[in-house]
Amino acid sequence: MGFSIVGKNVERVDAYEKVTGKAIFVGDIKLPGMLYAKVLRSPNAHAIIKNIDFAGALKSEGVVAVVTGKDFNHRFGIAVADQTPLAVHKVRFAGEPVAAVIAVTEKAAAKALKLIKIDYEKLPCVLYPQNAVQKDAPVIHEKFYQYKLAPWVSPGGKNVYQHFKVRRGDVDKAFNEADIIVENTYWSPYIHHVQLEPHGAIAQYNHDGSMVIYTSSQAPFVVQHCLSELHDIPLNRVRVIVPYVGGGFGGKSDVTIEPLVSCIARAVPGRPVKLLLTREEMFEGTVVGRGVYSHYKTAVSKDGKILGMEIKCYLGSGGYADYAVNIVSGIAMSATGPYEVPNLKIDCYGVYTNTPPTGALRGYGHPEAHFGAERQIDMIARKLNMDPAEFRMKNLLVKGRKNAIGQIMTEHSGRVDVCVKSVTEELFGKPKPEVKGNITIGRGIAAYMKMPVMPTNVQSGAIIKLNGDGTVTMSVGAIEMGQGSYTALSQIAAEALGIPMEKVHINTEVDTAYSPYEWQTVASHTTWGVGNAIIIASKDLKAKLREAAAKVLKVDVDKIVLDGEKIYSRDNKEKMLLWSDLALGYTSPKGTAVTSPIIGEGYFVARGLEKPDPETGQGNVAADWTFGCVGVELGVNKDTGEIRVYRLINAIDAGKIINPKLAHDQVMGAMVQALGSSLSEVLVFSDEGKIRNNDLVDYKIPGLEDVPEQVKVIFVETPEETGPFGARGLGEHGAVAVSPAVANAIYDALKVDFVDIPITADKVIKAIKGVD
Amino acid sequence: MKVKVVINGITFCEEISPNTTLLEFIKEKAGLTGTKTGCENGECGACTVIMNGKPVRSCIILAAEAHGAIITTVEGLAEKDKLHPLQQSFIRKGAVQCGFCTPGMLMAAKALYDRNPAPSQKDIEEALSGHLCRCTGYKPIKEAIEDAFNSHYN
Repeated sequence: MGFSIVGKNVERVDAYEKVTGKAIFVGDIKLPGMLYAKVLRSPNAHAIIKNIDFAGALKSEGVVAVVTGKDFNHRFGIAVADQTPLAVHKVRFAGEPVAAVIAVTEKAAAKALKLIKIDYEKLPCVLYPQNAVQKDAPVIHEKFYQYKLAPWVSPGGKNVYQHFKVRRGDVDKAFNEADIIVENTYWSPYIHHVQLEPHGAIAQYNHDGSMVIYTSSQAPFVVQHCLSELHDIPLNRVRVIVPYVGGGFGGKSDVTIEPLVSCIARAVPGRPVKLLLTREEMFEGTVVGRGVYSHYKTAVSKDGKILGMEIKCYLGSGGYADYAVNIVSGIAMSATGPYEVPNLKIDCYGVYTNTPPTGALRGYGHPEAHFGAERQIDMIARKLNMDPAEFRMKNLLVKGRKNAIGQIMTEHSGRVDVCVKSVTEELFGKPKPEVKGNITIGRGIAAYMKMPVMPTNVQSGAIIKLNGDGTVTMSVGAIEMGQGSYTALSQIAAEALGIPMEKVHINTEVDTAYSPYEWQTVASHTTWGVGNAIIIASKDLKAKLREAAAKVLKVDVDKIVLDGEKIYSRDNKEKMLLWSDLALGYTSPKGTAVTSPIIGEGYFVARGLEKPDPETGQGNVAADWTFGCVGVELGVNKDTGEIRVYRLINAIDAGKIINPKLAHDQVMGAMVQALGSSLSEVLVFSDEGKIRNNDLVDYKIPGLEDVPEQVKVIFVETPEETGPFGARGLGEHGAVAVSPAVANAIYDALKVDFVDIPITADKVIKAIKGVD
Repeated sequence: MKVKVVINGITFCEEISPNTTLLEFIKEKAGLTGTKTGCENGECGACTVIMNGKPVRSCIILAAEAHGAIITTVEGLAEKDKLHPLQQSFIRKGAVQCGFCTPGMLMAAKALYDRNPAPSQKDIEEALSGHLCRCTGYKPIKEAIEDAFNSHYN
């Protein structure tokens, strides 16, 4: 199939606004009569609130109101309703909001905050999931049993709010028959998204019971739903507006600060209240990511066939669970890595901890699962005395094989074998770099797979309005947060409509009052889901054009030919209409209106998906899987422990690539982000549960100087059967297997196995000394 | 206290409290929102503007220190309807993703552009040092800057 716009490197549709400073983010918005809020957060990770004295704050200059948990004691949460916007009675993580001041300026609010006195009674805290499940661990939610839970939530055990199981075959038999058993524990620490734009929101609650909120969110319709329930307001009276979002990476998905800001706004009806988080608050006052402790045990035959796996994972979910409950299943369903494993016993536990809530972070369970899975593979290959790529090849999920949840791979599922082969050739096909000093070179690979972890019935919509001049204006409910969706979606629209790219304009602000419904912008599903909706909307628009043309030309609809922007009857090409003639409704030369203005609309929902079986985790859960493989070449300085990555390669089968340049840069950006979590990024907690590195100096994300000399992305384009023009998701995937590939390369260099990340120079030096 | 600052050619003479930062002055007094607030600690570079020819982090400079200074922000980069070569190359090379670090990156590059017609790789790397971007993996930004120099000076 030949494409005219899909597959081309068109320039970003949002670039002009972003290079001129015209792109509006929440922080840039100033509304008439706007007030400012600042939030007082708990310094304790686990404590009883004995008393709050805010009399002094209330008298402070410019202060309008002070809000505490007592003012709004309602719990929210879609799956686990365990949280109040401001703490009531007890705090469960250091950074939890306890009180808020509303004032005429941000500075006045900040000043008054210091005048609030709170008495706490400290309780023992537990920070890590493997400790939180122990008998002597403190209970974080004493009244868990009173909370409203979604039907798929399955608690069990100390601080465990969710237990997800995968069961297949006979694991005991597999281990009895195994020639080799490899067993290890792994740890992916708590890390942060570090979106450059801090979270912010402006909420206004009105006396008539309506609410408007501007927010930096990936999920306006989730926010709308949540606020509607929390404040008992009909959905059509809750309006959520999202301008440009300065990076999300999952950290602005579901709901984050919106319940808090909305509850603060209730104290001053009729006045908009703005809350912008500081960088420090970004680390401790909203969601973090990862925090997974896992135990892997793999049974293998001597000819290199994986016979079975027994996996236990504990996800440290922080003080509140709603953001993490589905990550538990994401981990479990991807825990094998991209391999066929006939006998499986996977138990993944979501565990309360006294840390900031853990939420989605680029990869959603898959990177933490793959760190264990892909480190295991290399260690097993070593025991088998087999090349790691060859061992992978024997077990990969290729056509006809069954994955952990029972889905059988087809010719459309993607070629993980081709990805592994491409990366291997690229990585090992070149000579090692020449280096000076006490540097040793290592190379490693890691294969991966990722599904969009989402409900089985998520909807995406598109509305395409035909304008009087034949151009179109498109609205979608998906958010542009840097990933380039609005460009790719515009390309899909232009291709589907058969018009040039310049004639498509996409609205860059999502407003629940006007935009079509969208589940949320997560799970790398926008190109796929919204792209499909756009194709449906384009067909609708073209069908309406045909019907209108048939009326005007007085011929049967099936005789109408749509040739680019020209419309005519098959029998008479002379009588030609243009889209612009019909766009706003056709009027006859006598002045009689004949047809109506034209709008195309389309909604897409995946068909045939089902929830996993609660006992076995089996089911047609995943809409698709994107497969790939990462290759890393690095040098370790044995004197300083410093690791320098020279080459980073990623082969990904994301189906048809809509915009190769944008896709390449998504994968590259994800890999560099994951390089940070592999080598430097970790939230360091004190024993008392306070984050000690809550700034950008001590929490080190990659800078330009850390980017490898070569970053290569290889696209394998097996068309996706259900995707728009054959496309699959790719936004998160670059991040999934970087850490295990780095650790595998470090083993190659040093003969040391790291089972926890980040692998810092300190750890390397310690390990070298230990080995020597 | 009263402070006079020229921003993008327009003179602002404003009464401010002494602890007002240059960033706050730009956003609140001049009403220009293109300059971004990322950390308020001089650690991310998103708030970079050009002050008397040099790139500065406007979040850690007091407006009082900028008294009498000439400031250029991202809004002052284009000439009427013609984008600056750096803006053009950022678009052409896809150096923009979420766009939040972009104004700071552009201003850091502009300061280099104005003082060094033939920067080395190292000069560009130094100009971008301490400028954080979480989306792009930096390469497109560096390429865009190189491209702007090449297309302008060759």
